Amino acid sequence: MTEEPTPKSKLAVRRYEDRPVGCPPGPDAAAMTKEEKEAHRDTVGRLEELVEKAGKGDRKPLPEIRKILKESPDLAWQLMDVGRVAEWRYTEIMLKEEDFGLKEVLRCQLAAMREEIAGDNPSPLERLLADRIVLTWLQIQLFEDAYASSLSKSMTIAQGNYNQKMIDQAYKRHLSAIRMLAQIRKLGPAVQINIGERQINTAS
Amino acid sequence: MAWEKRERGGLYYTRSRKVDARVVREYVGGGIRGEIAARMDAKEQQQREEEAAAWREERERLEELAGLVDEFCEAVETVARATLLAAGFRQHNRGEWRRRRDRGTNTKE
Repeated sequence: MTEEPTPKSKLAVRRYEDRPVGCPPGPDAAAMTKEEKEAHRDTVGRLEELVEKAGKGDRKPLPEIRKILKESPDLAWQLMDVGRVAEWRYTEIMLKEEDFGLKEVLRCQLAAMREEIAGDNPSPLERLLADRIVLTWLQIQLFEDAYASSLSKSMTIAQGNYNQKMIDQAYKRHLSAIRMLAQIRKLGPAVQINIGERQINTAS
Repeated sequence: MAWEKRERGGLYYTRSRKVDARVVREYVGGGIRGEIAARMDAKEQQQREEEAAAWREERERLEELAGLVDEFCEAVETVARATLLAAGFRQHNRGEWRRRRDRGTNTKE
């Protein structure tokens, strides 16, 4: 993909699944070495520290945050890789090993959900957040399913409470994912920057 | 569950259980009666252990799965927050994100 960055409103509608979230033109995520994965974790870890500081009102970390986002255009893509691994594990566990057809149906359904949530011509950040919403939705399905199937067996109160706690946490994660996407959309194009290969900054 | 040796000779099977937070010992009997009770208890005990092991396994599986999603969600949250901060927003009381109004607000800082 070599097209020049253009303002969001002028971009042609591109199907969401045409390419992975924030995937830059070159790197092959499947070929990432252990060291690269570690470096990616370190980047996210550093970003987390800076975000925490900045969240407390400290403005000093802002330049470094911008620098990291600018210098790591493939960050979203690598993150998406983590999400897809989790999704693959979930579908493998939810359906029987030989149910290839059903697995394919489920994966197509998840892709369609991602596309629908991300909307037309999403920014890389919106894509990533759409991925998170779909993955947390899948997690709720799995935990609800595990709880329902354990109801048919004998279950202690502690086990029931544990299952319920896992479901509650999954709902919390899901709602938090929806809330963040809603906030990003509410704030509009001012935050469409620095994620993925496009460097769009239309902040007024 | 235990076999007790009686003073007058012979073994006597007893089992202990909790009743209202107190341990109560139940005297079952000796001979064939004690033997049957002991075997039944051993079988129940084995079943409980198997169930506990299966539950531990299930719990570990669920936690591992939750961990995968947690890692992803936390990283996405970090990137989203970093993007908002970099774009000149701040979070108001851990809720709504608002544009910084203070002096020198710009994204080229």
